[in-house]
Amino acid sequence: MNFFKRAWLNLIAKKGRTILLILVTSAILLFVLAGLLIRNAADAATSNAKKSVGATLTLSANRDAAFKSMRKSSRSDSTSKPTKPSLSLTPVKLADVKQIASLSNVKNYNLTASTSVNASSFDAISTSTSSSVSADQGGPGGSDSKMTSSQGDIAVTGVSTTALTTNFTSGGYKITKGRGIKASDANSNNIIVESELAKQESLSVGDTVTVKSVSGSKSYKLKIVGIYKAPSTSGSTQMGPGATDPSNTVYSSYTLANTIKGTKYKNTADSVTFNVSDPAKVNSVKKAGTKLISTSKYSLSANDASYQSVKASMTNIKSFADKIVWLVAIAGTIILALIIILMIRERRYEIGVLLSLGESRAKIIAQFFVEMFLVLIVAMGIAGAGGTFVGNKLGEQLVSQQTSSTATTVQSTSNGPSGQMGGGGQAPSGNAPSGSTGRGGASFMDSSTDKTELDVQVTPTNLAELGGFGLAIIFVSITLASVGILRLSPRKVLID
Amino acid sequence: MLELKNIGYWYDIQDNSLFEDVNLKFETGQSYAIVGQSGSGKTTLLSLISGLDKPKAGEIILDGQSLSHIGLTKYRQKHVSIVFQSYNLLTYMSPLNNLLTAMAVTKSSHEGDKNYARGMLQKLGLTDEQMTKNVQRLSGGQQQRVAIARTMCCDAKLVVADEPTGNLDEDNTQEVIQLFQKIAHEQDRCVIIVTHEPDVAAVCDHSYRLAHHEFALEK
Ligand SMILES: Nc1ncnc2c1ncn2[C@@H]1O[C@H](COP(=O)(O)OP(=O)(O)O)[C@@H](O)[C@H]1O
Ligand SMILES: [Mg+2]
Repeated sequence: MNFFKRAWLNLIAKKGRTILLILVTSAILLFVLAGLLIRNAADAATSNAKKSVGATLTLSANRDAAFKSMRKSSRSDSTSKPTKPSLSLTPVKLADVKQIASLSNVKNYNLTASTSVNASSFDAISTSTSSSVSADQGGPGGSDSKMTSSQGDIAVTGVSTTALTTNFTSGGYKITKGRGIKASDANSNNIIVESELAKQESLSVGDTVTVKSVSGSKSYKLKIVGIYKAPSTSGSTQMGPGATDPSNTVYSSYTLANTIKGTKYKNTADSVTFNVSDPAKVNSVKKAGTKLISTSKYSLSANDASYQSVKASMTNIKSFADKIVWLVAIAGTIILALIIILMIRERRYEIGVLLSLGESRAKIIAQFFVEMFLVLIVAMGIAGAGGTFVGNKLGEQLVSQQTSSTATTVQSTSNGPSGQMGGGGQAPSGNAPSGSTGRGGASFMDSSTDKTELDVQVTPTNLAELGGFGLAIIFVSITLASVGILRLSPRKVLID
Repeated sequence: MLELKNIGYWYDIQDNSLFEDVNLKFETGQSYAIVGQSGSGKTTLLSLISGLDKPKAGEIILDGQSLSHIGLTKYRQKHVSIVFQSYNLLTYMSPLNNLLTAMAVTKSSHEGDKNYARGMLQKLGLTDEQMTKNVQRLSGGQQQRVAIARTMCCDAKLVVADEPTGNLDEDNTQEVIQLFQKIAHEQDRCVIIVTHEPDVAAVCDHSYRLAHHEFALEK
C-alpha cells in the first residue's frame, strides 16, 4: 500500500471531493487553454496577416519633382500670356523595372499603362454622367501634343497580367468567361471586357471589336479573350468627374496600351507595382531599388502601412494573449493552492496518522501530488474537449476583430499621401471603382477582403503546454500547501 | 530495551514542569501500565516515548541509541507502534487496507502479505465482510481491534497505547487488555499502556503511578 495506491483509494473513497476538485481544475485549465489558444491564434493571425497583407513598392513618375519643374517653368514664363502649365511625367522604363525586379525579395511585378480609345464597332455604355472631359485630366499623355486632351469612351487598362492586378486579386473583379490577361498576351491585341458591356453589345469570347484612337487617326482590331465582372457596388458615386461607366474599361496587355499611346511609349509603363515577398524587408528593397533609378524622374514608394498596422495590432493581441496566459496561470495557481491548502488542513488527522506510523513527510506530500496529478489528467480531458468549443468561438471573434481593424487601416491610409495616382495617362481615377485611385490603397484591401481563416484548434502541442502549466500549477500549489505539512506536529494532531 | 534518562518536560515554563528527572526502564516481553489522575501528564510522557515529541530535558535511549540519534521519523517507522484512544485509523480505507498501509509504511517483514493481514483481523474477530468495508462503518470496539491488529502486523518491538480502552465497554475492554498481554508475552514485545482504569493496570506485569510530578513503581 504505497502512496500511489493510497492516493487512488483516497480519490475513490471521497468521490464528491474528487469531482469538485476535477471541476475546479478543469475550469482553471480551460482558462489557461483559452489563453494559450488566443496566443496561438494571434501567432497564426500574425503570419496569416503578414502573408495576406503583403507589401508592395510602386515605381512611377516622380510627381513632386514634375510639379516643381512645372511651377518653375510657369514662373519663368510669367511675362508671356498665361498658358496652361504642362505637367511632364516621364513614363517608367522597362529596363529599370527589370533591374528592380531582380532584387532579392521582389516576388513579382505588374506593369500598368492606361489610355483610352473610342468604341468603333460597338457602343460604349452611356451613363447620365457627362463624358466630356476636363482638361486637367491629362497625364503624361496629356502633355503629348499629338494627343488631344479629350478622353475616349473606352478606357484601356494595360497590365502585365490580371492575376497580379489589384482589382482582380482583391477588388472583387472576377473573370466570368474565357481567361484573364496573361504575360503571354504581351504584344497581342487581346482584351477582356466587362460583362455589362458584353451583354449590351452581345459580345462573347472569341469576338473581335474595333476601336479608334482618340484622335481618330488609327483603328485597332481587338480580340476578346475573356469577360470579367466588376463588382456591382461600383456605383457612380465612386466615379470622378468625367468618368465613364466602369463597364467601359477593357483590360489588355500593357503593350497594347503603349501602342495606342504612341511609339514613344514602347517599353514603358505608367507605373509598376512590385510585390515584396517578405513585407518586413520592404524598406531595404526600396533602398536598393532607389539606387537603380533616377530619383528626379521617378519615385519608388513603399506601401507597407497595412503590414505595419497589422503587425502592430497583432503584436497587441499577442501581448494581450501572453498576459492572459500568465494572469490565468497565476490566478489558477492561487485558487488551486488555496483549495489544496484547505483540503490539506482538513486532512491533518490523516497526515497525523501517517506520521505516527512513521511515514516520511515527503511521501505524504507525494501522495497529494499523485492525487492532484490524477485529477489533472481527467481535468485535462475535460478542458481539452471544452477548449475546442472555446477555440472556435475565439477564432471567430479574433477574425472579426482583425478584419475590422485592418479595414480601418484601409480607410485611413488609402487617401493618404501614399495613395498614388496609379496610371499617369488617361486619368484612370474614374474608370475603375476604387482600385486605381492608388495601387497602394488598393493593396490594403487584401487583408480585409481575404477573410483570414483562423484555425483555432486544440492541438497536441496545446495539450502538452496545458499539461505543463497544469503540472506547474499543482506543483506550486502543493508546495505552498506543504509548508503546513512540514510544520505539522503529529502530536498536536493526534493528541491535543 | 527502552530507557528514560533524567527526562523533564514542561509546556510553557520550566517552573511548571509536568515531571523532572524521570528515570524509567522498559523491557521486552513485559507489559507496563502508567496510571495517574487526569491532567497529570501521562499522555505527554507517552508522546515522548512514542517519538511524537521531544523531551525538554534528558534523553530516551533505545537499545543503547538515543532517539535523537535514530531520528524520530525512523524511530516511529521501525521501532514503535502506537494505539490511540481514538483509534487513529485512515478513515478512507477498509480495515484490510489500513493494515496493508501500515505494513508498507513501516516496511514490516510481512509487507504486502494480504493473507497475513486478513488472518490477523480474523484472529481479532472481524468477518471478511467487515474487513473490506470502510473502517468508519465499524463499531468503536471493532475499530480499536483494527488498530491493535495494525500494531500486530508491524515489527515494532515497542507498543504504546494511550487509554486504548477509553471508548470501549466492559467486555471489549477485557478483550483488548488481554490482546495487549498476548502481544507482550507471546510476541515478546514491550507494551506500555497509559490508563486511568485500575482494572487495566491490574492485568499488566508492572505499573507506574504518576503523581506529584513523579513516577512511583506500584508493582
Ligand atoms: N499542548 C499543550 N500545551 C499546553 N499545555 C498542555 C498541552 N497539552 C497538555 N497540556 C497540559 O499538560 C497537562 C498534562 O496533560 P496530559 O499529558 O494530556 O495529561 P493526562 O494524559 O495525564 O490527562 C495538563 O494540565 C494539560 O492541560
Ligand atoms: Mg491523556
